[in-house]
Amino acid sequence: MDSIQYIGEHLLPGQIGQIAALFAFVASSLAAVAYYFATQKQDTSEADNWLFIGRSAFVAHGLGIFVVIGIIFYIMLNQHYEYQYVQAHVSEDLPLRYIFSAFWEGQEGSFLLWMFWHIVLGMILMVTAKKWEAPTLSVLALVQVILGSMILGLYVTEELRVGSSPLLLLRETMNAPIFNNADYLSLVKGNGLNPALQNYWMTIHPPTLFLGFASTVVPFCFAIAGLWTKQHKAWLKPALRWSLFSAGILGTGILMGGAWAYEALNFGGYWACDPVENASLVPWLILLAGIHSNLIANATGHSVRTSYIFYILTFLFVLYSTFLTRSGALGETSVHAFTEMGLETQLIILMSTFFILGFGLFAIRSKSIPSPVKEEATPSREFWMFIGTLVLLFSSILITGSTSLPIYNKIRQVFDPVFEGIVIDDANVHYNKYQLWIAVFIASLSGIAQYLRYREVNFGKYARRFATHLGIALAITAVLTYLFSLWINLHSWQYTVLLATCLFAIVSNLDSFISFSKGNKKAVGAALSHIGFGVMIIGVLASSLNKTVISSDPFAMQGLFEGATTETFKKNIVLLKNNKTFMDDYEVTYVSDETEKHIRTFYLNFKQRDEAGNVTEEFMLDPNILYSKDFTKIDYTNPATKHYLAKDVFTHITSLSKEEIDPEYAKTVEDSLEYTAFDVEIGEVFPLFDTIKLDNLDTAIVRTYQAEILEVKKQNATHIDYVAEEGDLTIGAKVRVSFEDSVYYANPILVLRGQFLYSFPDKVNALTTKIKIDETIFDRLFVAESDLEYETFSIKQGESFQYKGHKLTFIGFDKNPAHPAYDREEGDIAVSAIIGIDDKYEAKPLYLIRGNRPFNLKDEVADLGLHLRFASIDPKTESMEIMLAKQNTVNTRIPLAITTDSPRSDYIVLQAIEFQGINLFWLGSVVMLLGLFFSMWQKRIEN
Amino acid sequence: MKKLSVVLIAMIGVAIWLLTTASDDMSTYSTFMDASLSGKKVKVVGQLSKDKEMYYDPGKDPNYFSFYVKDNDGLEKKVVLLAEKPRDFELSEQIVITGKMKGEEFVASDMLMKCPSKYKDEEVYIKGAQG
Repeated sequence: MDSIQYIGEHLLPGQIGQIAALFAFVASSLAAVAYYFATQKQDTSEADNWLFIGRSAFVAHGLGIFVVIGIIFYIMLNQHYEYQYVQAHVSEDLPLRYIFSAFWEGQEGSFLLWMFWHIVLGMILMVTAKKWEAPTLSVLALVQVILGSMILGLYVTEELRVGSSPLLLLRETMNAPIFNNADYLSLVKGNGLNPALQNYWMTIHPPTLFLGFASTVVPFCFAIAGLWTKQHKAWLKPALRWSLFSAGILGTGILMGGAWAYEALNFGGYWACDPVENASLVPWLILLAGIHSNLIANATGHSVRTSYIFYILTFLFVLYSTFLTRSGALGETSVHAFTEMGLETQLIILMSTFFILGFGLFAIRSKSIPSPVKEEATPSREFWMFIGTLVLLFSSILITGSTSLPIYNKIRQVFDPVFEGIVIDDANVHYNKYQLWIAVFIASLSGIAQYLRYREVNFGKYARRFATHLGIALAITAVLTYLFSLWINLHSWQYTVLLATCLFAIVSNLDSFISFSKGNKKAVGAALSHIGFGVMIIGVLASSLNKTVISSDPFAMQGLFEGATTETFKKNIVLLKNNKTFMDDYEVTYVSDETEKHIRTFYLNFKQRDEAGNVTEEFMLDPNILYSKDFTKIDYTNPATKHYLAKDVFTHITSLSKEEIDPEYAKTVEDSLEYTAFDVEIGEVFPLFDTIKLDNLDTAIVRTYQAEILEVKKQNATHIDYVAEEGDLTIGAKVRVSFEDSVYYANPILVLRGQFLYSFPDKVNALTTKIKIDETIFDRLFVAESDLEYETFSIKQGESFQYKGHKLTFIGFDKNPAHPAYDREEGDIAVSAIIGIDDKYEAKPLYLIRGNRPFNLKDEVADLGLHLRFASIDPKTESMEIMLAKQNTVNTRIPLAITTDSPRSDYIVLQAIEFQGINLFWLGSVVMLLGLFFSMWQKRIEN
Repeated sequence: MKKLSVVLIAMIGVAIWLLTTASDDMSTYSTFMDASLSGKKVKVVGQLSKDKEMYYDPGKDPNYFSFYVKDNDGLEKKVVLLAEKPRDFELSEQIVITGKMKGEEFVASDMLMKCPSKYKDEEVYIKGAQG
């Protein structure tokens, strides 16, 4: 196959990219080594040289990676499908604004994004870290060496490959007969971006989350630098600023994921305890423990060791979560894990390298790490803060343990192949059971610790004030808990405890900020974060405990499933178009729908009424569905949510009617329908009979509908499913069908395209009536020219004459003629004659000279069966020649085929959920993150 | 002994206790046979029988979807999912269903599907064309 000369391939960008990746890999290795020596030989003359080499190498590494990224964008923008990564993530119709999303949709792209942020952070460190530059960047460069190897795609031997290159050619990644064709590229199409990912969240969530992940490396680098240079105290201050930044960004990234899931996906919530979600939460929790430990160390000198451990662990858990999501180990248990790519070994090397580096160095230096001889006093702030950090760590370990079950299963299966593997039955129940108590501890500790002082030596004096404030806070908490319990349905006492502790955290933090810190700016961050945390958890409680599926239909499933409660199942409800349906205390109507390109939007009207029946609240929601390119199936559905201050009403469409989702079924239904033929005049009212069988009874009732054809269009008829093409001949009928006081309209059409006839029936869903135009209409309305016998007349303007009992008058010329079959072209000479017939009708046959050749386009008066052609014009006599023909029999009746048994298909299946107090969750989270950013800002200013 | 050591030991104790109780939340994947015998709510892994009927008529009941699944022992049962028919259901390779047996039917309240990735899908398609 190698001998084939392929046509149209662009191999140069790929080659440049491969070289750049290799170059970046080598440069990062050099940077790591140079910075290593710059650290080791500090304060010697050599150090400056090493520092220079290290800097240059790191910058070169950065440039190399930027080139790789640039080249991937280049081949993506130009849609060079010879590259596998482009073929897998781009397509012709992918809007330009999603090119970034397409870039980081794949594993290699997201690795590059991660490395990109590391480079940016490295550059900032280079400029700002001063004496810490050499050790921190040495570590960072080492991280880049191992990450860089993931995208190398070098074959060491036939079997052993290092990394997976994003620049592989399609024909290198798979073996298929298509590659025997030298011009295979003309046959290859792009897969495009998963439609679920085509929204702005996919544009902002991954870069933020990856900046969060990437930034955890900085505290790690400082921790290693501190251990390495034995400056166990000096590293703490710069590390704290970075870890606050990192916690803020990572938290924002995670929160964006939740907002995305809630707003744009149909998960019906913001957190699903999915292993991938958990894996991103764990490093954040440990980082928070690290920040608190770091604060203690700064204030008291205690907890230096734990600060080291927490920062090292944070980074290791980022690596571990990368491993979980990318190794394919979670395939069965997670909705958003990547598929495996054969990088497992390299990912394990990555984790073990930094595990050994971190904890090995910690063990070696352990003895030299200072700690105060005196223990923390029990009523001191540092003591309770420290316990808090342990609780956070504890929480992380529990989550990690449960999340790692698939790994545990795999390892155990190695030794015991019969072992089937264990799974968590209900993730939410499992995690809530434990994390509830974690939250209780964290909330109470954050309150109590704020009332205590660092390095407490004389608690006796302070105890009274402490007790007073604590007492007042507890009293307020008790009142608030009671008030909130009226709103939130708390189910069990555990939730009451959690609610109370969260309220306590809010009250006590507010109180200590006002009474103790007296509004000191330094304390703002902490107060905001802790209050935000409390509010957030109350939001979680409210929105999950008070979540009600309002679309559940309490009668549909009774008796089918033992012990089934309405809450657990039956989440969907059918909404018939224009029929009121009652859901909870809403009156919901599916009003209309609209299709634009591939998106079909449904408009739903929600009403609430008071007892007197007056509308008290009304709003519209517009969930939509996205059809596949060929309209054969639904690719995606997007929810729509009504936001109130205190609650949200969330809706999404889970299905359309069976006929719309199942074309085969639709065909079976159509084939089974019995149509009745009608042959009626326009304006004639005719009855339709509909036999309706009554359920459970042996009888049926017959309803009579009144039908009437209002109008027949012989040109430019339109239909929702019909896309016009040039040369089409269309006939459309407008039919009115009424039953009692309701009037409906149907507009069936027939299309003749070349040799083929297409029928587009129309349906009156409410009356289960479907109407088609019978194809014999063409024979009646369009008479073959060969069947007509034309006679020629010559007349002048204003003259009249008789033809087969009709009086024809030549009224005049129209110099700007319009004719349904005529499209004006440059250079045309066109004119039509205006002929009046029986003082009642008007015909406008057209005469045309195009390119020195005369043409004529006929007009007809269907009612009379008259056909008119404008044959020629004599400018001298100002007379014209007109050709006339009359059909022998004029049949103006319209043949229709109508059935009244066509099942309704104008309905949607909807799921609607009411989330109470979800805004508290968003508000709390945002306030908490603001607190982190504010603290970071404050530390920066202090510096 | 330091106070913190006491706290640490207490926490480790609680952790061990929690981990032992956590096993209540976990179970192994079952088969239809296990589900029939125990009558309890279980998780069954299996393959969708693509040749058997899949029934979903939202007009009749939007929360009733039935299909056939062959479990890892090769036993095939009708499964009733009390929800809508998920998109791309036909493509699923492996299915995990949570529920219990009721007579000869497995009534499921929850389902997780594993679908082939787009990339793999294409590979299969191309190889199919070759053979």
